[in-house]
Parts: sequence; structure tokens; C-alpha cells
Amino acid sequence: MSNPFREDLVSRSRPESCTVVIFGATGDLTHRKLIPALYNLAIDGELPSNVKIVGFARRDKSDEVFREGLKELNKDVSRSGHNDEIWNDFEQTVHYHQSEFQDLDGYKRLADRLDAIDTERGSKGNRLFYIASAPEFFDDILQNLKDAGLNNAAKGAWARVIVEKPFGTDLATAQHLNQVVNNTFEEKDTYRIDHYLGKETAQNIMVLRFANAIFEPLWNSRYIEQIQITCSEHLGMEGGRGGYYDTAGAMRDMVQNHLLQLLSLVAMEPPTDLSADGVRDEKVKVIRSLRQWDTPELVAENVVRAQYTAGHIHGKSVVGYCEEDRVDPESNTEAYVAVRCMVDTWRWSGVPFYVRMGKRLPKKATEISVHFKSAPNVLFNAIPGASDEGNVLVIRIQPDEGISLRMVSKLPGTSLRLEPVKMDFHYSTSFGKGSPEAYERLLLDSMAGDATLFARRDEVEEAWKFVDHIEQAWHAEENQPPMAEFTAGSWGPEEAEDLLAKDGNTWRRL
Amino acid sequence: MTDSENMALGTPVEVANIEKELYKLWEADEARTNASLMNFAVYSEEKGSLAKNSDIVRKITREHACRAILVGIDKQAKEKTVSAWITAHCHLAHGQKSVCCEQIAFHLTGRSTGRFRNTIFANLQSDLPLILWWQGDLSNMFSEGLYRRINRLVIDSSDWKNPIDSFKLMSEAWGDKKSLVIQDLAWTRTYNYRLAVAALYDDPMAAESLPTTQKIKVVANPKHRFSALLMVAWYCDLAGWQPSQDLVDDGDLNGSYRFEKKNGELVDVEVKYDDESMPISKFEVISDSVEICISRNKGDDLLHHLLKCSKHTLDTHGQADSIDGAELVTNQLSRGGKNSLYKRIFPKFLDLV
Ligand SMILES: NC(=O)c1ccc[n+]([C@@H]2O[C@H](COP(=O)([O-])OP(=O)(O)OC[C@H]3O[C@@H](n4cnc5c(N)ncnc54)[C@H](OP(=O)(O)O)[C@@H]3O)[C@@H](O)[C@H]2O)c1
Repeated sequence: MSNPFREDLVSRSRPESCTVVIFGATGDLTHRKLIPALYNLAIDGELPSNVKIVGFARRDKSDEVFREGLKELNKDVSRSGHNDEIWNDFEQTVHYHQSEFQDLDGYKRLADRLDAIDTERGSKGNRLFYIASAPEFFDDILQNLKDAGLNNAAKGAWARVIVEKPFGTDLATAQHLNQVVNNTFEEKDTYRIDHYLGKETAQNIMVLRFANAIFEPLWNSRYIEQIQITCSEHLGMEGGRGGYYDTAGAMRDMVQNHLLQLLSLVAMEPPTDLSADGVRDEKVKVIRSLRQWDTPELVAENVVRAQYTAGHIHGKSVVGYCEEDRVDPESNTEAYVAVRCMVDTWRWSGVPFYVRMGKRLPKKATEISVHFKSAPNVLFNAIPGASDEGNVLVIRIQPDEGISLRMVSKLPGTSLRLEPVKMDFHYSTSFGKGSPEAYERLLLDSMAGDATLFARRDEVEEAWKFVDHIEQAWHAEENQPPMAEFTAGSWGPEEAEDLLAKDGNTWRRL
Repeated sequence: MTDSENMALGTPVEVANIEKELYKLWEADEARTNASLMNFAVYSEEKGSLAKNSDIVRKITREHACRAILVGIDKQAKEKTVSAWITAHCHLAHGQKSVCCEQIAFHLTGRSTGRFRNTIFANLQSDLPLILWWQGDLSNMFSEGLYRRINRLVIDSSDWKNPIDSFKLMSEAWGDKKSLVIQDLAWTRTYNYRLAVAALYDDPMAAESLPTTQKIKVVANPKHRFSALLMVAWYCDLAGWQPSQDLVDDGDLNGSYRFEKKNGELVDVEVKYDDESMPISKFEVISDSVEICISRNKGDDLLHHLLKCSKHTLDTHGQADSIDGAELVTNQLSRGGKNSLYKRIFPKFLDLV
């Protein structure tokens, strides 16, 4: 039965009422991101009524104790503050279910419990399973969900699964995982989270490109010289992160998922429509068109990996990567990576996409910069001393979300001096109100069955294919491309500068 | 104008020098960013409105960067004068950068009041949309030359002393300019009630019960009669019902109305007014198997949502609409949109009025 009263209240597909089951509910992700996101949706009146949340984890806890812990953290991190009265209503919808991930009986009890919830509130039995556990448990959880029959939705209802990153550690594990997921849930019911896609500016890349008539005609190799995607972090391995990070590295942790997703949004062809598959069909073509760096020589030529050595950040001295807590002193894992990508399509022929990610860089920022070709070397550009810098369009993903355009202007004065100036648009100051957290948007989309902002199976596997060649060269017995070094607090190793210098380019200064 | 009113409006300037003076204002302090996404004009014929509106605009600019243009009109004054002031409303963004919006205030008296339209147009930031908040009844100053050039008109029909004339002018404006977006704060005040109704009908039992609806009861404050009637018109339109031939209004302040479902069955709607009530304090739908009630206690900033059916009960709270004018306008500006649903139900609403 459709609900006529939703008309005109929200311009998006309508999220449907459901029970959200979170696996790993006593963990950090649930406390810091998932519950605050659901609570903020409730405050904004966006959460469908009748949504129930069941947290699944190992520790023995009552509903009350579980709720109390969630409440404490929500007070600290909730985007729009904490209101006791709304929380009191909200927490009534939250329950705790104690079980080991490996214990089938726990899932059977869960199934009974979910049925009881549906009977009690008269709902049709939509279920959203959110796997917020470490990846080694994915197999167990998915298999047990299947064995307990929880993957089969009741008639007229749906059962969907959201899977957190990391989605595999290489192509083989990702394929295995995809197989396990798709043994239990159909691809259309599988939502692989990449929270970068939930960010306002990431969504705005498509709007900027396809809703404004002025950019698309210039968006090709004829006018664009190069594109850079930078994700820099000032943090190192604080809070015990070293343990996980040292097994992953910058390439697997950030490039394979977030940065290649951003690259595909920037480079994709206009989709035929805005349906989830319409958009993802075009995105995956980009990843598929990446030239493969599949020999150690090509990797050495086009990719730079590095670790930081001791240095200073924000006035404080910090240790080098190999001296970090929980990092192997002999570690061969990169904390910095720069890749020169070539997208072999008609549109991008000859345009390098430089992607870099690093820890312990001077500041925290994720930005995409599109560098246009310089104007011809006549008229103003022929004046001695004229800057030959082209226009640069910058899309800032975080923290200060916005868009800026650099262009050349005449300096005031009687002589003719030209200098670059910047036109700047900041989300926060222009729209005043804060953007919703990425998880809010993504949770609602999954309740609405809209998978546009989630990674599809082929996207994930194609991205791993690209990354695997590089990882294999790095970990080969012989001929390994070297591991470069840079001082913590600097903008990365010399080798990364050389990577661009070969093309006559330089990294943009952020 | 009193001294304190003058103070609130900032620096007095010559009308001819406004742009120059604004430029000086920005030059004086480099740490500030001048932000603007729209021209936001506020028109009022009420005495002392300029200082009050300057305060309201200060609140609105926290969320909506704009160039604000305030116009205060005194038609009765004998003397013909035009005075102007400029100021900037600044707010800290993320505790660091100061983001400012400029404001120009005009006071027009006597026969100068006729110049108000050109006064607004001469001081707009080019290419940005113009939103006009017209306070009070629409008067003969609300002319075609004005509304043809604005993108969005904000009004509050609850404040109108002579609603029939104003609604007529409004309909004419819509007739002349189909793309004009009109945002009535009486409609904005129903937003969270509508959201609550929509949320409760997400429940499959509630959705199934819609065809068996028998009665609707609304309790509202008499000052907010139009909000109550807009809510009724909205509900009945989306449910697919038509006003019945034997639509009755018993002449009493309280109203009873009758709607006809597609199958010919009748639904009674009862609107009761209570001076102590919040703008709307109750919206109740009774059907064969389900009862839906959304209510708001006096002074509360939350709505109570209740759904009762044979198998289960749903009892929660949600946000209520603000009673503060500045906040209502802020929320309305954030929602944007074409407000086409309001336009669609408007004829049904006028029938009820
Ligand atoms: N934290 C973030 O901000 C973030 C961001 C992006 C992605 N992720 C990903 O999300 C996943 C979860 O991260 P997290 O930081 O929340 O991890 P976490 O804090 O270590 O939480 C792990 C959760 O798994 C449960 N668990 C572990 N072994 C179990 C077992 N055998 N049976 C039942 N429950 C078991 C734990 O329950 P007990 O406490 O009861 O043992 C706990 O609830 C990871 O894959 C991570 O990479 C996290």
C-alpha cells in the first residue's frame, strides 16, 4: 500500500520501515557513526517510523546497558546535539542481542526475535543487516545468516546487507567475499559502503559536471592537462591503528576504494539516467580503462611508495613509521603512495591522473584539482615574466567542502602584471547549515533501495585488479621497486615530485 | 524614528552613495568574508518594523548568506523622505572565519513610498535570486511590476486583517506569473505535522486503514485558522477526497466540513479553536481499525505521534515547527523547492476559507 502523504516532503526515493541489525554493535563504528547517524535522522524526521535497531555482539549486556553506552557517546558526537526526550523515544527502538558470530544458534534466536518484533509492531518484515565487524568474520556471519534463513525475506518484504570496508585485501579475497555475499544475498540487495560517496562534495561532482553547461564541453584531453587527487592526513598510527594499517597500507586502505571512486566520478561519461546501475555502469568503465601497471618496471615508473621518518607536525615531534606503536620495525608497508594513472578512453587520452595519499603530511585534506591547459603563448602570455599557469578547478571533499577556480587577472597598476586569483565557494559559509554525515545519507539510501552511492561488485573487483599488479610488484621476491622516505610533516618524498616532473608537471600546493 | 531604531540599522548613508559606502565597509576589515547566495528583501508598512526586521535578518543570516534589503513604509506621513542605512551581520563560521552579510535599510515616507519598488531593484546583487518577504496584508503596492521580478514571495496569511482581498491579489499574481513561488508561513507552520502524518502512514496498517477513514478532528489556535485549514485541505487532497456538496460551515467560529471519498462515502472534518492552543495542537484521524493522533502541548517544542491499531501501538515524539517567525523563514528558505503542492491544494483551501 503506497503512502500518498509523502508527496513533496522529500525529493528522494522513500526509505522504508525496517529492522536494522548491526553485527559488531559494541564496536567503535556503531557508537561513533551508525547510532548517531540513525538518531540524527530521527531528529530530522527522516527516519521512517517503526524502524527498530538490534545490536549483535559477543559481550553479555542488557538492552539498558547497551543503550546507556550508546547515549554517552551520542552526547559527544551527534551532529545536531542531544535531546533527552527524543533520545528516550529513540532508544526504545534499540535492542541488544548477545551471540558469537560463529554460533548458528544465536542467529536462530535472532530470527525468532525479529519475527516477534514484526508481529508486535505489525510490520511486514523488512530487514537491513549491517556488517560492522572485522573482515575475518564476514564469512561466518553471512553463512550463518543463510543457515538461519534470515536472507530470505517474507513475501512483499526485503532483506538487504550492508558491508563495511575493507572489502577484501586483494582481488582473490574480494572475489571470495563477493561470492560469499552473493551466496547469501542477491547483488541487488548488497550495499558495499564507501563513505566517501556519501559526502556532499562527492555527490556534487556529478551535479557540477552534468547540471552546469559550462564544464562538460571542456572536460576532456583537449582542454585538460592533468588531474590530481590528493588525500593527505596529518595523523600517524595513533590509538593502536598501526596494527591494522601495517597489514594494509595506503594503497589498500584508501586508494583501492575511496580515491578510485573519486577518480571514476571525475572521469566518467554522462550516464544515460540517474539510476543506480546507470551511474555505476559508467563508473566501472573508467576503472576498467585504467592502464595496468603490470610489470615491476611499469610500477617503478608510475608508482611511488614511501614511509615517513621522524619529523615534526603542528610543532610536535613525531616518530617515523617503523617506530610507531604496533608497526613492524622491519615493515615493508607504505604510509604514502603516489600513482600516475592513465585512463585509456577517447576523452582522456594522454591526460595523467595523479593520485596520492599519505599519512603524516602537513594537513588533513582531500581534494581533486583539474588543471586546464594554458592559454596559447601569444598576447598576454607572451609578455616577459607572464605566468603560464593555467586555470585550476579545485573540488574540496574535506574538511572545508567547496569549489574554487583559479584564473589569471591583471594586477592593479599602470604596468601590465598578471597574477593568479581565486574564486572560491565554501559550502559551510554559503549554505550556513551543516551537511548531514555521510552515514546518514547512506543508511537512508539503503532503506530506500537506492544503491547509487554504493560500490557494485564489478567496481570493487576491477579496482582490486588494478591495485593487485602494484602490490604484487612491491612484494615480489626480486626486482622490488624501492620504498622511498620522507620526513614526517613534509609533503612527501622527492621521488613523488620526480614522478610528475617527468611529465613536466608539479604537485599542487594545498 | 527613535535613536535606538537608528542605532540598530547601522550607519546612515546617502541613497546615492550606498554601493560606495558598502565597499568602504568591507575595505575596513580584511578578516571578514562577504557571503551572499540571494537578495532577501523584507517589506513592512508597520511602524517600527525596520529595527525589528534587522534583528530578524541577523538571525536568518546565520544560516542563509544574503544581501538583505529592508523597506519600511509610512504612507500616512506628510513629508516625502527617503532615508537609508547600511550595516553588516557577522557570524563566526567554525569558530574562526567571520562571515558577513550586508544589509541596506530604507525608510520611505509620504509620497516617496511609491518609489519603493525601484529602491529595491536599484540595490540588488546581480544574478542572485530575489526573495521578498512581504509582511502584513498585500496592498496596492504589491503590483505586477514588482512580482514579475521576484523569484520567491514569503507571506504570512495568519497575519492578514483582510484575507479575502489579499488571497485575491495572490491568486492574480499566480495567474500572471506561473513560476512565482509563494511560501505562506501559515503553510510552513504545518510542516512537521505533515511530516508526522506521512511517517505514521508508513505503517502498513495505517496505510490500509486510509480508505475506511470516518472522521478528522483538528484543534488549533484561532489566530492560526489558516494553518488548520491548510492542513485539512492537504490531507484530503492527498487522500483523494473532494469537498462534498453538502459541505457545511455552521457559521460558528468552529468549523465542520464534509469530504467525499471516491466511493461516495463521506468523511466529517471538525476544526475546533481554542485561544490556549498552540498554532495547531491536535490532528486526529479516526478510521475503522486505526487511530492516528498528532498533538502538541502548550509550550512544547516536540510533537507527540500516536498510532493505535488492533495489533500494535506506536508512541513517539518528533520535532515541532517553531513559533518564532525568523526561524520559520529560515527553515522555509532551507527547504527551498517550488512549493507546488501548496499551489495545488490552494483552491481546496480557499473553499474551506
Ligand atoms: N571505526 C570506524 O570508524 C570505521 C570506519 C570505517 C570502517 N570501519 C570498519 O568497520 C568494522 C568494525 O570496526 P570497529 O572499529 O567498530 O571495530 P571494533 O571497535 O573492534 O568492534 C568490533 C565488534 O565486533 C564484535 N565481535 C568481535 N568478535 C566477535 C565474535 N566472535 N562474536 C561476536 N561479536 C564479535 C565486538 O563485540 P564485543 O565487544 O562484544 O567483543 C565489537 O562489537 C571494521 O571492519 C572496520 O575496518 C570502521
